[in-house]
Amino acid sequence: MAQQVPVGAPVGGQTAQPRSTGSALDWASRNARLLAPLLTFVFLFIFFSLVTDVFLTPQNLQNIVTQIAPIAVAAVGITFVLLCAEIDLSIASIATFTGVLGAFFFVGDAVALGTWGIPVALLIALALGLLNGFLVAYVGIPSFMMTLAMLTIARGLSVYVSEGKPIFDVPPVLKALGSVSSQVLGIPVIGLFALAVLLLGEFVLGYTKFGRYVYMTGANREAAEMSGVDTRRVIMVSLAISAVTAGMTGLLFIGRLSSANPAAGEDVLIFTIAAVVLGGTSLFGGEGGIRNTILGLLIFGILNNGLNLLPNIPITFKQALQGIVLLAALLLNVFALRIERVRARTE
Amino acid sequence: MASLAPEPTAVSSTADAPILRLGGVTKRFGGATALDNVDFDLRPGEIHGLIGENGAGKSTLMKILSGVHAPDEGEIALRGEAVRFASPAEAKARGVGMIYQELSCMPQLSIAENVFLGRQPTSGGVVSWKAMRAAAAEQLGSLGLKVDPRAPLGSLSLGSQQMVEIARVVFSGAGIVVLDEPTSALSGPESERLFAAMARLKAQGASLVFISHFLEDVLAVADRITVLKNSRKVATLANAGLTKAKLIELMIGRDADALAESYAATGIDLPPPAAGKTVLSLRGLEAPGSFSDISFDLHAGEILGLFGNLGAGMTEIARALFGQVVPAAGEIALDGKPIRPRTTRESKRLGIAYLSENRRKTIFPRHEVYKNISLAHLDTLLGPVLRPGPEVAIAREQVGRTGVRPANPLLNAGNLSGGNQQKVVLAKWLTKRPKVLILNEPTRGMDVGAKREVLDLVKALKAEGVAILLLSTEPETVLAESDRILVLSRGRITREFAGETVSKDRLMEFA
Repeated sequence: MAQQVPVGAPVGGQTAQPRSTGSALDWASRNARLLAPLLTFVFLFIFFSLVTDVFLTPQNLQNIVTQIAPIAVAAVGITFVLLCAEIDLSIASIATFTGVLGAFFFVGDAVALGTWGIPVALLIALALGLLNGFLVAYVGIPSFMMTLAMLTIARGLSVYVSEGKPIFDVPPVLKALGSVSSQVLGIPVIGLFALAVLLLGEFVLGYTKFGRYVYMTGANREAAEMSGVDTRRVIMVSLAISAVTAGMTGLLFIGRLSSANPAAGEDVLIFTIAAVVLGGTSLFGGEGGIRNTILGLLIFGILNNGLNLLPNIPITFKQALQGIVLLAALLLNVFALRIERVRARTE
Repeated sequence: MASLAPEPTAVSSTADAPILRLGGVTKRFGGATALDNVDFDLRPGEIHGLIGENGAGKSTLMKILSGVHAPDEGEIALRGEAVRFASPAEAKARGVGMIYQELSCMPQLSIAENVFLGRQPTSGGVVSWKAMRAAAAEQLGSLGLKVDPRAPLGSLSLGSQQMVEIARVVFSGAGIVVLDEPTSALSGPESERLFAAMARLKAQGASLVFISHFLEDVLAVADRITVLKNSRKVATLANAGLTKAKLIELMIGRDADALAESYAATGIDLPPPAAGKTVLSLRGLEAPGSFSDISFDLHAGEILGLFGNLGAGMTEIARALFGQVVPAAGEIALDGKPIRPRTTRESKRLGIAYLSENRRKTIFPRHEVYKNISLAHLDTLLGPVLRPGPEVAIAREQVGRTGVRPANPLLNAGNLSGGNQQKVVLAKWLTKRPKVLILNEPTRGMDVGAKREVLDLVKALKAEGVAILLLSTEPETVLAESDRILVLSRGRITREFAGETVSKDRLMEFA
């Protein structure tokens, strides 16, 4: 061998060493993807604490957690999908359909499964997710189109199964899970459940081989393929995960509302994707993760809640204002990442 | 028809006054200096070669010329007037055009549309196709390319596509054209044609900057040559009387004789055929349109060189072995057992490793070097839970073994120079010793020193008993280390060289 480079020794030579100093600015720009949403979160938190009376009360914080928890579960699945550089537009419809199925099996007019309807409903969500995944990864339908079709299919099935009417009885276990009054040490159980799913997602993405394959497939699918990664399977499994977490979200919703409405839940799609992207996970794949998603959810939850508490703002203007603040947060993200990118460019 | 296109910018009357001059240009990225006080001048109607090792600053200089980067210090003067390009579009508007290594054409569109990309001639809001085709044909003809302008660009060879791109840049009014490694993907005759076209442009008064690793190419066409080294300019010299050895000496400051080996022009003696165990054997392999009747054996501890021009079918054979293409006919056997890999994962598990020729398809620029390296054998290298500690340690070992610089597995791979990225990709396949290692253009675009390191590493693997298939369109690369050489032409094996003397000319004779 021509030259054995001593491991860990400082190496000079003609190759420019781009990461030279450990200055604070350097560190910040390298972590821009986490830092920008973190700053947004801290800013909003302090802002609403100061401007409103109610924001920083335990009850209100519990409210935020309860509101954001179902979205958080679907956000875990969407994080997988976005990291793969794919998209899943069917999550809201799959959530609604799974919820409707859970109530439908529980009520048992046609098929009586009782509480066992919950795992069966989730298995059906899984099947839809696998179908999404198979047709995207192996047949080659773009995920945008495939999941758009699935959106319509699942929505239609919800209406078909429920005959278009809300079902007003749901498994008690879901009611207990969804209720604000179910708490452990002052934290709503639904929040703990969401946290558990988030942590599981973080573990899979950050510490398992499958998680690494998800990142690498999204970062450069061809290169992952050239490294012997079965990228088709990775994409299929990610879309399946997304459908299952969406299904869980739907079940949490019917628990919280104590009813399953086939016409509800359309907001879930936009809210989930907005929260994940707000957190800094790239829409183009390969970058971001559950930490980002957690920050995005917190920003989103605070914003949703805090704006309602602001005095002197006409209620009719709230939604537009929410959109404007979201836009501002996204702009901050883009600028932060631009700084990072300019720095990372070497030769 | 000439009225359709702006004339190439008029040449200044003072013959030797530079049309473009860079004075004391410095560019830093973070703490690293990519260009240090570099002067550069381009005269009207000259071809100016720009050479240097990987990381010497060629790309940065080119990006400053083309407006991608703004210099931190120093000035740019265009036709004697100080300028500052804020963007590539602005540089283009001022008559500085770029031909990038990776072509930026639209293969589905017609040739004429590509020549006129973004500025189709119109009359009354409607594209005047006739005028456009005629003008495109005329422009391409003046570069020596006779084609039907209505044909889709993708139907042309890579060399001809490049010619179309040059026509586009020149036709849009660029009096200064910067060509980045234009010959790296071209066959010999295609390069010759490119040089002829460059000479014509020069005769028309255009000024060209020619960036290349191929010193012969630079010597063949350049009027003057600027050598960069370690972000500084070494010299600008008139071509007359320069030799390749002299250029290499200037580029790397090492003794040029030591490099003669890897550039064997006189011929080398292949070793007598050794009787190693047959690891891989191909019989009558065929993929319509790519290759046919491919049969050969590859032995343990052997380097089998495959030489051919671009499009000879070598990459397709490699892809078939790596499970990316399923051949229509023929058999592949590994250790005597027939195999038929259908996915890259299958091939990987069988012990076949493949280093692709296309770096964009192999590197994860925005992920750490260690993640790049561990990916290929992630499923067997580490336990069920990934922890950075052991993973980085494995990567560090491979980084040391392959001589990646800087030797820091925590850097993002995109921060390394091209040659070092290639070493990272090689390192990826060495975390577990492969049975068969397929190297497709392993040293393309590398500087001389890095080339030597990679070839030494390949030799070491051969000594460990790995069966190595070395594919290259550069005869020097194949000649440097091969035990046997197969020459391919148009998808068929035309000649096997074993146990005899072989030279560059002999190889090219059969390609």
